[in-house]
Amino acid sequence: MTVPSTAAQTASSLAWARRRGSVARFWRAYRTHRAGLFGLGALAVIALVALAAPLLVGSDVQSVTNAPGAALESPSGAFPLGTDQFGRSLLGLLIWGARISLTVGLMAAALSVAIGTLVGILAGHFGGWFSTVTMRITDWFLVMPTLVLAIVLATVMSRSVWTVILAIGVTSWPTTARLVRAQTLAVESRPYIERATALGGGHGHIMSRHVLPNVMPLVLAQTTLGISNAILTEATLAFLGLGDPDVVSWGGMLQDAREAGAVSSGHWWYLAPPGIAIAVVALAFTLCGRAVESVLNPKLGVSAR
Amino acid sequence: MSTASSTPLVEGAPDGPVPVKTGPSGPRARSARAYLMYVAGKLGGAAVSLFAVLVTSFFLFRIIPGDPVRTMTHGRQVSAEQLASLRRQFGLDLPVWQQFTEYCAKALSGDLGTSYQFHAPVGELIAEKLPATLLLTGVAVVIYSMLGLWLGTRSAWRHGRLGDKVNTGVALTLWSVPSFWLGLLLIITFSVGIGPIPGMFPTGGMETGGETGFGYVADVAHHMVLPVVTLVAVGYAQTLLVMRASLLDEMGSDYLTTARAKGLRDDLVRRHHAVPNALLPTVTMVFINLGHVAAGSILVETVFSWPGLGGLFYQALSVPDLPLVQGLFVVFAGAMILMNLLADLLYPLLDPRVGR
Amino acid sequence: MDTTTVPRTARPSPRALTLLAVGVTALALTAAAATPLNPAPRQARADGQRTLTVAVSQSVDSLSPFLAQRLVSTTVHRLIYENLTNYDAKDNHAIPGLATKWEPSPDKLTWTYTIRENSRWSDGKQATAEDAAWTFNTMMTDEGAATANGSFVANFKKVTAPSPTKLVIELKKPQATMAALDVPILPRHEWEKVGDYAKFNNDKKFPVVGNGPFILTDYKVDQYVKFKPNRKFWRGAPKFDELVLKYYKDGDAAVAALQKGEVSFASNLTPAQAASLAKAKNIKVNDAPGRRFYALATNPGARSKDGKKFGDGHPALLNPKVRQALFAATDRKTIIDKVFQGHAVEGQGYIPPRFSAYHWKPDADQRIAYDPARAAALLDEAGYKKNKAGKRVGKDGRPLDFRILCHATDPNDKAIGKYMQEWWGDLGIGLKVECLDNVSDPWLAGEYDLAFDGWSVNPDPDFVLSIHTCAALPSTPKDTGATDNFICDKKFDELYAKQTAEYDAAKRADLVKQMQSRLYDTGYMNVMAYPNAVEAYRTDQIRAITTMPESGGNLWGQDGYWSWWSAVPAEVDDTSGGNGSSTGLVIGIVTTVVLAAGLVVFVAMRRRSTAEDRE
Repeated sequence: MTVPSTAAQTASSLAWARRRGSVARFWRAYRTHRAGLFGLGALAVIALVALAAPLLVGSDVQSVTNAPGAALESPSGAFPLGTDQFGRSLLGLLIWGARISLTVGLMAAALSVAIGTLVGILAGHFGGWFSTVTMRITDWFLVMPTLVLAIVLATVMSRSVWTVILAIGVTSWPTTARLVRAQTLAVESRPYIERATALGGGHGHIMSRHVLPNVMPLVLAQTTLGISNAILTEATLAFLGLGDPDVVSWGGMLQDAREAGAVSSGHWWYLAPPGIAIAVVALAFTLCGRAVESVLNPKLGVSAR
Repeated sequence: MSTASSTPLVEGAPDGPVPVKTGPSGPRARSARAYLMYVAGKLGGAAVSLFAVLVTSFFLFRIIPGDPVRTMTHGRQVSAEQLASLRRQFGLDLPVWQQFTEYCAKALSGDLGTSYQFHAPVGELIAEKLPATLLLTGVAVVIYSMLGLWLGTRSAWRHGRLGDKVNTGVALTLWSVPSFWLGLLLIITFSVGIGPIPGMFPTGGMETGGETGFGYVADVAHHMVLPVVTLVAVGYAQTLLVMRASLLDEMGSDYLTTARAKGLRDDLVRRHHAVPNALLPTVTMVFINLGHVAAGSILVETVFSWPGLGGLFYQALSVPDLPLVQGLFVVFAGAMILMNLLADLLYPLLDPRVGR
Repeated sequence: MDTTTVPRTARPSPRALTLLAVGVTALALTAAAATPLNPAPRQARADGQRTLTVAVSQSVDSLSPFLAQRLVSTTVHRLIYENLTNYDAKDNHAIPGLATKWEPSPDKLTWTYTIRENSRWSDGKQATAEDAAWTFNTMMTDEGAATANGSFVANFKKVTAPSPTKLVIELKKPQATMAALDVPILPRHEWEKVGDYAKFNNDKKFPVVGNGPFILTDYKVDQYVKFKPNRKFWRGAPKFDELVLKYYKDGDAAVAALQKGEVSFASNLTPAQAASLAKAKNIKVNDAPGRRFYALATNPGARSKDGKKFGDGHPALLNPKVRQALFAATDRKTIIDKVFQGHAVEGQGYIPPRFSAYHWKPDADQRIAYDPARAAALLDEAGYKKNKAGKRVGKDGRPLDFRILCHATDPNDKAIGKYMQEWWGDLGIGLKVECLDNVSDPWLAGEYDLAFDGWSVNPDPDFVLSIHTCAALPSTPKDTGATDNFICDKKFDELYAKQTAEYDAAKRADLVKQMQSRLYDTGYMNVMAYPNAVEAYRTDQIRAITTMPESGGNLWGQDGYWSWWSAVPAEVDDTSGGNGSSTGLVIGIVTTVVLAAGLVVFVAMRRRSTAEDRE
């Protein structure tokens, strides 16, 4: 009784040590990427601001009936970025909007990568006609115009944040699926998988214990890159009027600005900040993603050399 | 001399750009047959995809809530008989499977139906708008591919240096910018004019109207500047990055080291060996970008009032004008399939490593 | 074989790419530089032609009057065809159009129109009663031709033209709106040849034969519609040499074009745009009382004529006290001040004050003023008390959680929805704002609690009243009725029937006011505001223009052709005309030079590289 348990303990503690070691190694390598560090820093600041938004500005910032200013004021001491057409502080909205934009970006990318990983691993593991069929479907999704599909989905469903997340997630997974499938095939050709099968490891065991940990780095890189795409798509859908009208997001702010006629009436301070915010976050995620990618796969991440 | 492809490159013709180097007639004949097989396979695949798109477009838009007949008659006095006659006219009174078979039969003979709201054949409506979209996005894709290739090559050749960092940094930043936002800013700056900057460009549309011949061409070019700049700014980063990455990849190859060791001039090595090989993945991407042409311009067309397919799609979707959305979807997806097919067919011609 | 592919792969050498990129940049820069630095209003052209350019945001759905339903298309038809009657620019009363006189028979069932003799089609032929009779008869017999205006002829029994100047219309029932038939009369000799009216869009052959103040000369989908003045128009020719409706998908682009002088007129301005344009030189902002009302509709329980109920409207709304409470908790003054920023008038009766003959106001004790305390009291009375969580819950345990249907394309809907959420939230009422691009489906299915509703009112109020009668309900739940909000009220219907048959204007107006009073009391249509028409035009291009109504009225979407027909071009003293074409020429030359240079470079590169290949 005691022997196997200690063995298991050592095995698990070994695994832990190994993981810690690989994380440390990862970080050491990541640290050498200056752009990646810059991205990470920017993200940390923005995430902090988004998390602290209730303390910084309070949810009252969204209220139209208690709006403190007049409509479309230009920047001043009281309103560093001016006000929107309801007299709400644009700086407050920008900070509050970070929450939605980041949430949507993260969740949509997570959803997309989750679908992609699942499909990829299944197709890679089972092979045969199953793989052929899934990959046909994946290819078919690849030729679908993504934005068009997302617009259709957002039109079909009610206007809400979830709709946007779903529309982005459901349309952007095929790339991940293909990459994960290739990786799965590579992993499963290694001898230890054969050993594991011989030792009686079922499909579930192989996929979750051996394949998944090995495709995780790739998945991580894909997620990071996917987030910036998701944030841009969120902004696009909101701009086309397909966002949730009840919440403040950066894309929604741009749409509000346009509806108020900010472009032609010269209220650039209404239009510029949300766009810059979107660009900064998207850029930060891209930089992180590229850094992660080049750490994990030096051949791909030539940027580092 | 590690990879198969690099060996003949260096040994066969040290001076000439010879990525394609196959033996005499024997293997060639065989490879031609192989290529034909490959082409047939790809063509078949494309046909299957196209059919899948036809089917999807039919069912996808039936799930949009909205009865087109009701939407079109909302707010008007319409008798039940009139409604029924409209349904008959649109073929909406038939069972779905029958609508589907009719749609397929017609689509295969090139007839995409008649738009509900514009009372005109869908093919005609699309043909009317297609040139505008092709012109705008085609020009943009060509320019940004060129720009991306050029800057990517420069960046790779000087990788790690300041120029490379600035180059990649600018590209990535522009790539992170929402295109519609950039378009709006360009309108404010260069169309309306801010401070000392005069409004130099038209605010939207494709032509002033009334110009003919050469004046017309110039007029359209004038209208195209801002939308093209927007598309190029947001789009060139992708080409740049792919070109840079694959060129760096090539530069790590042994044959280049060998070539250099043999004392060849640096720029010759680059032009004749590295760039042609690195071009392959990039060219593929250019084709895929061309495939996105039709659908990709929805935003820019909206911002610049460009009379193309994007706006038409949006109008069609809100009714929903089923034949029109279906037709547009087929065109959008069809463009992707066509360009993927072209890329697939060209790839083995450009790269001996594939398909032979 | 191989050698042909080889150089191709090598072709885009960095240097060639450099040159190409340089060429493209040069093209962009020169195109920019060649443009005149001073974008003067371009209305005076080299040939001295004066063009009036109007920015429009809607695409034309069809140029056939039988099919066209959108405002932009019907506006075009106003300009190129005559209706039997027109509306006076001063006070909207019916005045002669193609008909000079119209009279009912004593039994009210036959109307006789005298057709004018001085109206000619643009191909020189005389416009006659025969054309009018043909137009109406075609609409009565051909389903396709009835698509747009079929409702106008629904009550017609027979239409004949006993002589070229006499048109006789026999009715099934008396109809008071016979001087308000907004149907363009078409030239029979041109239209008879058309095969299928459901598919004919009238957009292939230019100029289009018409007899209105303008002649349509050119049309490009989603780009422009062009007109030349009809010099022989019987009321007098328009003063501009050309009229162009130019299409801008984006409102901001249209305003920017106005600021630059690319267009002479833009409409549908936002408050911010109006404010910034008001400060601009040479631009006049026209903030005119609108013809629309903007209302809060409550679902009275959707039903069809056969008595079947459908939809899922909140049952609490069937209680008049709840409806009153909701309206009493809606601060209309804030809506006007904050959302419309002063560009609207607070709502009273159903018909906007612009139509003074029919406008009605509730008296002091009838009026539901903004009063949250009273709203709370009304809800308490109705049995919807606040629970511990601060939510109002009915006796059946169902909370007062409403949905409001909002047009995703209308920023005002979204904005007012935000305010309502907060006002009503304070009272313990939940509100979900459901914004859709296409609201028709839930609307027609009765699947809404509340809805933002609005209609443009015609000089004759018959139509906007008819949509609240029981007769407008759908026959069965599957059909579409003309009904707006499923209202079916016996008293309202009785009054409606009376006004339809009342040929005396003053008496009819009185009946219309009684109807509005009844509508107000039912609380199913609560008019919140009459939004203004906010438009702007360039005074350095248009010197004078007729608004409708003449004092303080609007310009776009008038009931008539007054604005564009009357517009007088401004005197232009500078003769720097030809800006446009010279700019075009310069850009053209630059383009050619760049292209030629590119070609030379290309050829040179090609030769060089082949030379290299040979070495």
